[in-house]
Formats: sequence, structure tokens, C-alpha cells
Amino acid sequence: MKSIYQVAGHRFAVVMPDNHLAWNEMKPYEPFMVENDDDLVFTVEMVDMMPDTSDKQKVTVSCEAPDAARVELYEWQGQWLLEMAPLLEAPVRVSLITDKAFTKGVFRVLGSMRFSIGTVLMLMFAFSTAQKNTLLMHSSVTVKDGKAYLFLGKSGTGKSTHSQLWINNIEGCELLNDDNPVLRVEDNGVVRVYGSPWSGKTPCYRNLDYPVGAIVDLHQAKVNRIRRQTLLEAYVSLYVSYSGYRFIKEMADGLHATTEKIVGSVPCYSLDCLPNADAAWMCYNTVTQ
Amino acid sequence: MKTKKGFVLRSLGREYILVAEGLEAADANRLISMNESAAFLWKAVEDKEFDADTLISLLIDEYGITHEVAEKDVASLLETWEKAEIIN
Repeated sequence: MKSIYQVAGHRFAVVMPDNHLAWNEMKPYEPFMVENDDDLVFTVEMVDMMPDTSDKQKVTVSCEAPDAARVELYEWQGQWLLEMAPLLEAPVRVSLITDKAFTKGVFRVLGSMRFSIGTVLMLMFAFSTAQKNTLLMHSSVTVKDGKAYLFLGKSGTGKSTHSQLWINNIEGCELLNDDNPVLRVEDNGVVRVYGSPWSGKTPCYRNLDYPVGAIVDLHQAKVNRIRRQTLLEAYVSLYVSYSGYRFIKEMADGLHATTEKIVGSVPCYSLDCLPNADAAWMCYNTVTQ
Repeated sequence: MKTKKGFVLRSLGREYILVAEGLEAADANRLISMNESAAFLWKAVEDKEFDADTLISLLIDEYGITHEVAEKDVASLLETWEKAEIIN
């Protein structure tokens, strides 16, 4: 059975056996389901058996934090082989073989179905759209008066908390996505942010999109303070908030071009903050003025 | 000396940023900002053997400054590059 989904205007196909329990994990994707299967950015198929890949060549291992997923990248017969685990020290739970452009892949689940499907689809999505003015972000996004505000920061900084502070204190705010929204520069240069089927621990899978009002990089502090970032600072804040294999030149070029357009047109701020209502009001009053 | 491998110089508006993109630079400082003259010198000597005199001549030719000024600028630039671990 094949289902088509559209996230941030990019369609992709997921193929899995009929009635497989894996379809139970696709609930977050249902708001994004479409009929149209033209111009797919990628197709992935779940399989029971993988070919023998023991002659794989290691390329790199990436893991941003001990509690973040570990992704091992290998080259195997002109394709990429990726083996992924939910933690730095955990055993491999899912393996994926894909063409070098990340447009067609097969994956085999060894452990948690939720982790496996989520990781495979996010990775294929991020890497197949890296040259299409698209960034799969690590961010929490709140909407107010038709504009979206992205909160960035390392895991544990309080992105979700800051979104909640806006929602609880400022009338008319709502959450668009709590962990992995998609930024896209439209053909007319407007930067929009889209909800996605990936939202971390918060079930918030909204198929909606808004123009971006501002991007705010959060830092925990003992006082509340906000300032506008320089172009370079904004570039760095974004750069560390999405992933990519930058040794693949086309991917690095694509990510750079998109980031450059975003920091050139969206106001970006740095916010030192406490987890309190004053921080939300200070931020809101500054970024919406 | 030589520039280390794996770095790509990218422009950002009127500024420049050196990004550790290659696998060789996986453990490096990932983003280093550069002004226009530093970026000019980096491009000129990238992947080539060079020394302070190479950079001084390049600066004099490009910006028409005195040897004394160029020498001072290059000394401070090389110190920055060494600290950033982007040359060896």
C-alpha cells in the first residue's frame, strides 16, 4: 500500500505492506495526506530483508548530543547506507539504503517503529529538499495575528516553554509546531513556515502555513534581554538549527543559499530569558513592533 | 604553511564566512567570519603553500598599502588563523 503526503508543498510517497502495524504510526501524517502523486521529492519503501551490505565503506557518524539520534553514514555500491539509533550509545534500530540524491530509498526496521519511521522520513525529507529553498528546522513556532514566530535554541533551552508562555499570556496566540517546522523561501522571496508531521513530544501536527514575522534564538539567562542580530549572527543561529551533509557540495550550496535568503529578509533576534511571562511580553513587544 | 582542507568560503551580504563543510574538517570550529581582505587572501592562497611574505605581497598589490602596514596586518591575520586552527 502506498500513501502520498505533502509537507511544505513537497510531496512524498511511503510504501509499506497492507495492514502492517506500521500504519498505526502514520496518524500524525494523516493531515498531510494527498491524492496527487506528481513530482514526488522522494519515495521510501519498508522492506523485511536488506541486501548484504558487509562491504560498506564508512563515511561519517553524526550525533549532536548524547541524547540525540546517532546516524552512521556509509557508501555502499554507489548508494548511501544509513544506520540509525535513538541515542549515541544505543544499538542500530533502522537501516536505510537510498540513492545519492535521497529520492528513492528502502528501509528495514529493527527496533521501535515510531523512531524508525520518523527518522527515515525526516531525513529523506530534509535531504531531498535541501536544494529546493527548504529547511527542516529544529524550532518551536507560535502564530499571532497571521504571522509566525520561530524560537530556536539548543535542546533543553526552553523553546517549547517560551511558546507556551506566549500562548498562556498573550491573547490570540497558538502553536503551529513544537519541534520540526519547515521554513521555505517562496518563488516571490517571501519566507513562510509550515507545520509538519514531526513535532517532538507535543502532538501538534497542523497542516497550516504562515509568513514568518521573526526568528528568535533563545538563551537561558538570569535577566530578560533582547536584541536584533547581525546578518552573521542570524546565519549562525539558523546554521545550527538544521542538519545536512555539508560535504555533499550540492547540499551545502542549497542550504547556504536558503539560509542567506532567510537572514536577508526576516528580522532575527537573540533573546536572553527567564522562563517567565515578562520574557514572553518583552519578546512579543519587540518582534511584533 | 598551507590552508587546511575541508573549508569553504561563502559570502553573506557584504561579509564572508568560512564554513567547515568537508569531512576533513568535521571536528573543526565550524564557522569563522572573515572581512573582505581576509577573504581575498584566503581565496588567493587556498590549497597552496604560502608564507607571510606571500600574503604581504598580495595585500600590497591589491590595496596599494605600504609594506609596513601590510606586514602588521598579515601578522595579526596569521595569529587569528592559527588560533582558529584553519592553517598548518
